[in-house]
Amino acid sequence: MARLVVHQERIPDNQELIKICPFGALEEQDGNVVVNAACKMCRLCVKRGPAGAVEYVEDEKKPEINKEEWKGIAVYADHVDGVIHPVTFELIGKAKEMAAVTGQEVSVLFMGKDIREKSEEILHYGADKVYVYDKEELERFKIEPYTEVFEDFIRRNKPSSILVGATTVGRQLAPRVAARMKTGLTADCTILEMNENSDLSQIRPAFGGNIMAHIKTPNHRPQIATVRYKIMNAPARSDSKSGEIVTCDIPKENLLSHVEVLDILPKEKESFIENSDVLIVAGRGVKKEEDLSMLNELADLLGGQVACTRPMAESGWLDAKYQIGLSGRTVRPKLIITCGVSGAIQFVAGMNHSDTIFAINNDPKAPIFKSAHYCLVGDLYEILPKLIARVKEKEGM
Amino acid sequence: MELLVCIKQVPDDSVEISLDPVSKTPALQGVTPVVNAFDTYALEMAARLKEAHGGEITVVSIGGEDVKNSLKNCLAVGADNAYLVKEEAAFSHDPAGIAKTLKKAIGEIEKDRGKPFDLIFCGKESTDYASSQVGLFLGEESSLPVAANVISVEPVEGGIKLKQETEEGYRVMEAALPCVVTIQKPNYDPRYPTIKSKMAARKKEITELSPIENLESQFKVLQILEPPKRAAGVKIKGDNIQEAVTEAMSVMTKARIF
Repeated sequence: MARLVVHQERIPDNQELIKICPFGALEEQDGNVVVNAACKMCRLCVKRGPAGAVEYVEDEKKPEINKEEWKGIAVYADHVDGVIHPVTFELIGKAKEMAAVTGQEVSVLFMGKDIREKSEEILHYGADKVYVYDKEELERFKIEPYTEVFEDFIRRNKPSSILVGATTVGRQLAPRVAARMKTGLTADCTILEMNENSDLSQIRPAFGGNIMAHIKTPNHRPQIATVRYKIMNAPARSDSKSGEIVTCDIPKENLLSHVEVLDILPKEKESFIENSDVLIVAGRGVKKEEDLSMLNELADLLGGQVACTRPMAESGWLDAKYQIGLSGRTVRPKLIITCGVSGAIQFVAGMNHSDTIFAINNDPKAPIFKSAHYCLVGDLYEILPKLIARVKEKEGM
Repeated sequence: MELLVCIKQVPDDSVEISLDPVSKTPALQGVTPVVNAFDTYALEMAARLKEAHGGEITVVSIGGEDVKNSLKNCLAVGADNAYLVKEEAAFSHDPAGIAKTLKKAIGEIEKDRGKPFDLIFCGKESTDYASSQVGLFLGEESSLPVAANVISVEPVEGGIKLKQETEEGYRVMEAALPCVVTIQKPNYDPRYPTIKSKMAARKKEITELSPIENLESQFKVLQILEPPKRAAGVKIKGDNIQEAVTEAMSVMTKARIF
């Protein structure tokens, strides 16, 4: 936006100048002429006022960045003690798909301590290069040194786009890196598309998933996006390796931290619902706490777990860590069977990427049926026992 | 300790918000503005910290005149002072722009009050756009250490002890002050105001601050869309339970569950 600058020392008579404006946008304040909100930018005051009294200043156009200098797609390898988080492989798969549009490379940034050997695993997923920073100081995630390494990687390799898993670490690291590089970051993208000019089209949900925003970072590089686990498809692990490992170094002095990790406490040993291939979900249609045993039985038979909706977690029947939805976990199992779940948007947002959604509800108008692949209108107290019996039969039990 | 809590006013998150078909923007008319839930957790945590260790709580927000109401609500549940960066177009800024505006405001508030802040709280994300970036950008912009998803804070010699929630568990950390923290829901709920605290809050002044002019956005929202509609699912009639169960079995076989 352009603006007007008033040079008071060049105005012989304030009132004469003020009269020029047809919109009354010039006024006198403490002996100075100022431009108020009524200004229409007609610039009559510039043309007709005393020479040089009002100056029209155009905003400096930011120089266009040279997109040619920024090439390829980089993926941040999320890991705990060298065990790579599966979201990393999903993002490598997505990066490869997008890199095919521009014909550029996919690189992976892997930082930590004693991780050199573990980096070999990434070569089974088709990345072109894996940049490894293996340093004592990088043993545990600390935001300042990790940002330093990320910056070093970006300055050396100039990737056009960077994908980071929206894990606890990724959701901290990506914003700090974006702020350091003075570039844009789009969090929790659900759709990513590469344009031929290397602009990344990023689509992400807002307002609990009811609205999607389509975002671009047209004049900044790198473009950074975070993606939640189980949004993209993981590529199959190839038996052979491809690509190369590049060992990188950074001076120790750059890896200072003002935050020290004193201790890491595990949550009690459990299998997370995110990792389950089959989920049986209890909704408000389950009337008594004891009835959960029926769902548990089916889950056990199918090698899955029981999960729940927010009201069930709030009633205390199941712990909040089994809750699916925006205020709970996002899941993407092969099969999800919802039992008496009405399907509030906040719940659906946490599970609508499941491969097969099978909904049981006695209300034919329940919103869950809009998201389900298979809609079974009926009483779960009649259906589940029969289903359990049939599964047992099939398994020869 | 001098505590600052950054507040965002958002549309009530218990209301389902859809796209206005004409304006192609979120239909927010008639939706009550509230303080972002995660910011209320942050304020409650700050209030408990103040009660245990003393100090003062300042709240700051960015927005138009109507945001003063939300700030008054904060003054009724533990905040001592409130500042508002007068910026009608706050919603059009990206997280980087909001963080820059906050940084400028923090400098001005510290000057105004004559003392620097020790601990700056933000909610871990907002319930509307949920980008979860502002606190982290603010940390980098201000060259301060930052810890996200924090569920407890406790002052210790020379700094602060933090408990951070991760997917796998918790990390106990110690940070030097000043420091920025973004707050995840702790295992307690924010307090309610009393009539007395509401009356007192109403009388308090909210100091206005000026925004950054010609703030540049790093990304552009090109379009607001509706989520794609998926194809209608297969309806299985429930009147014949046996048939329905048979169908369910074949679905599971197809999905290779067995």
